[in-house]
Amino acid sequence: MEGEEGTFVPAHAAECAFCRAIVADLEALRAAAVELPLEEPSPAVWSQIRAQLVAAGAFTEKTSLWDWFRQLDLLRRPVPVATFACMVILGSLLTAPRNYPEQETTSAVTALPARTAVQSMAFVGDSAALEQVVRQLEEAFRAREGSLAPDLKATYENSLVSLDASIRECSDSLRREPGNSLAHEYLLGAYSQKVEVLSSALEFDAGR
Amino acid sequence: MADCREQETKKRGIVLYGQGLVLYVLVLSGTLLAAEGNRSERIFEAIPNPRITVTNMTGQILVRGWDKAQVHVAYSVMSPHVEVDTEVVPPNGPADKIHFATHLLDPLVSGKDQTADYSLDVPTGTCLEIRNPQGSVRIEKFQGDDASVESVGGAILVSDFTGHLFVRSIGGNIDVVRASGRVEAYSITGNLHFVSPTTSKLRGSTTSGRILFEGDFQDGGDYSLQDYSGDIEILCPSSASFELFAKTVRGKLQNEMPMTIRHRAATPISSANSLFGTHLTGKATVDLKSFSGTIRIRQR
Amino acid sequence: MSQQKRAAPKTASETQLVARAQHGDEEAFAALFEMHKRRVYSLCLRMTGNTAEAEDLAQEAFLQLFRKISTFRGESAFSTWLHRLAVNVVLMHLRKKGLQQISLDEVDSSQDEPVKRDYGDYDRRLMGSVDRISLSQAIAELPPGYRTVFVLHDIEGYEHNEIAEIMSCSVGNSKSQLHKARMKLRDWLRQNEGLMTAAEPVISDQAPSER
Repeated sequence: MEGEEGTFVPAHAAECAFCRAIVADLEALRAAAVELPLEEPSPAVWSQIRAQLVAAGAFTEKTSLWDWFRQLDLLRRPVPVATFACMVILGSLLTAPRNYPEQETTSAVTALPARTAVQSMAFVGDSAALEQVVRQLEEAFRAREGSLAPDLKATYENSLVSLDASIRECSDSLRREPGNSLAHEYLLGAYSQKVEVLSSALEFDAGR
Repeated sequence: MADCREQETKKRGIVLYGQGLVLYVLVLSGTLLAAEGNRSERIFEAIPNPRITVTNMTGQILVRGWDKAQVHVAYSVMSPHVEVDTEVVPPNGPADKIHFATHLLDPLVSGKDQTADYSLDVPTGTCLEIRNPQGSVRIEKFQGDDASVESVGGAILVSDFTGHLFVRSIGGNIDVVRASGRVEAYSITGNLHFVSPTTSKLRGSTTSGRILFEGDFQDGGDYSLQDYSGDIEILCPSSASFELFAKTVRGKLQNEMPMTIRHRAATPISSANSLFGTHLTGKATVDLKSFSGTIRIRQR
Repeated sequence: MSQQKRAAPKTASETQLVARAQHGDEEAFAALFEMHKRRVYSLCLRMTGNTAEAEDLAQEAFLQLFRKISTFRGESAFSTWLHRLAVNVVLMHLRKKGLQQISLDEVDSSQDEPVKRDYGDYDRRLMGSVDRISLSQAIAELPPGYRTVFVLHDIEGYEHNEIAEIMSCSVGNSKSQLHKARMKLRDWLRQNEGLMTAAEPVISDQAPSER
């Protein structure tokens, strides 16, 4: 019971025998309901299911050790963690104090919005760690890109080429001009977009 | 006798020819039907602000607004191993939510066989969500609450739209024509094209595509366009009243509009090209950023 | 969902089975079936009260699971996702049958009966244990709407806000229907002697009245 009920009902039940009995009955009923045993379906249920799926050609055959290895999906688990870590590091770089004069920003920095569930948080990190996270996602993507449809794969590849070029250029700019906040903004934006593109590709492959 | 045999032969020939023709027509019809795919059409009664989602893999999705309190959907699939799931909430009475999802009955179906095309007519106030990774999306005459469209390689065209529009396509071009409300459009390699928006807030970003904005700026409107290596081009009328913040690191800045240049207190980037100024009374706010692309502001 | 839920334990092997099933592995899918069949079937049985229907619906739930497993993204526990899928299958079936159980907002309060005061009637109270076999029977006797809410809340452990979302009703209606379901069950069990032990007598604080 929540709110007012949580205090009113027990208090009243303590004073009213009739209501106390009802409450006790309902509690006993609820306790029994929770303990109801699970029922077993007849073997026919699985037979029917299997027959329908086999008739539809739904099951695939394992062909090789490599297929078995891929099906273990070992590379899938690091993705959400890597994505989150990347966004955390991005957030730390955005919020970390800088050594050059304040540059006003007139609009939000994000290039692609975080329509995934990940939000940036204040945390300490460095760009080397960020690169490593992106690299891990990229490795996961490379391991599975063969399973993507050709035109889809081409789209992802083109976007990654574009983003990599922007990362290289921005990094060069920052090496020559460490105080270049716009280059810094673009660099982080490019990493963020790369994370989103790689996550989209991995999510797409997993969700097919 | 010989004549009879000849006639008999002729008759048989005609019959065979006729049968062949019928068979040919049947095969052709079957082929055409197969090519057309399996088509379904349904109408759902809907509450005033229904929520509609479409999850597809590839194919065309067309959504149009209409003034009926109904959702009309027509969809067709290329392969018998592809099915469209429809979930209506609640199942009886006017729908609050309708979900359409294309799914594969056979995981081995690939390429064009995965195609499902949708055509929807939706009521005013609809909240729309579309995912079509490999296909195109077109939205026309939509007066809704919220519309979210996501694609990977597909092109997205939205015209005569009212509401909050969120569009993302990693590699596809995005065209938004005559939109009002709020617009957000994002791509990596695709181009963005905005025509005659009457939006209060507009956000556009692409990495290597081009951005072209043709139209006026609304009083009090907030416009932010960002590109990395592609060019940003603004074509606006001489009556456009806006405050401009334009910055590029390595690209060029070309402005044809007479501006009152403003000097800002913050230190600008030393190697960047930037322009801060006001055209006329500066009623709208326009923020343009590029890394190496050219920013052009021209009078229409 | 509340702690009441008897969810199947999420083990590393289940995650692998799901991944393999997503690639069409029959063995993996069969294993998932074995892991979850009893819970899915029990849900179907309790919501329909009919064995044959329950088997058909369990079958349909697993077929839908196979069709939709590629959309499972691991955002919730697999058992939770499967369970919700099964609930939707059953509800769609009940709605197709035209059973008035979904529009919980259309409550006919004129049919509400006041709780009867049975003074001095201590030997017919449920206090103590409830016979589970009788309870199963009593649940099957409930009107579909009450049964659905009772099964979802008290047996399957859904919260009222979840039930409200599933059944497109308000939280208040879900609570109201649950209370009525429980009272009906109580009455049924009392009338059919579904209790196992009588507790110590309750001292009435009012004089007995005519029944």
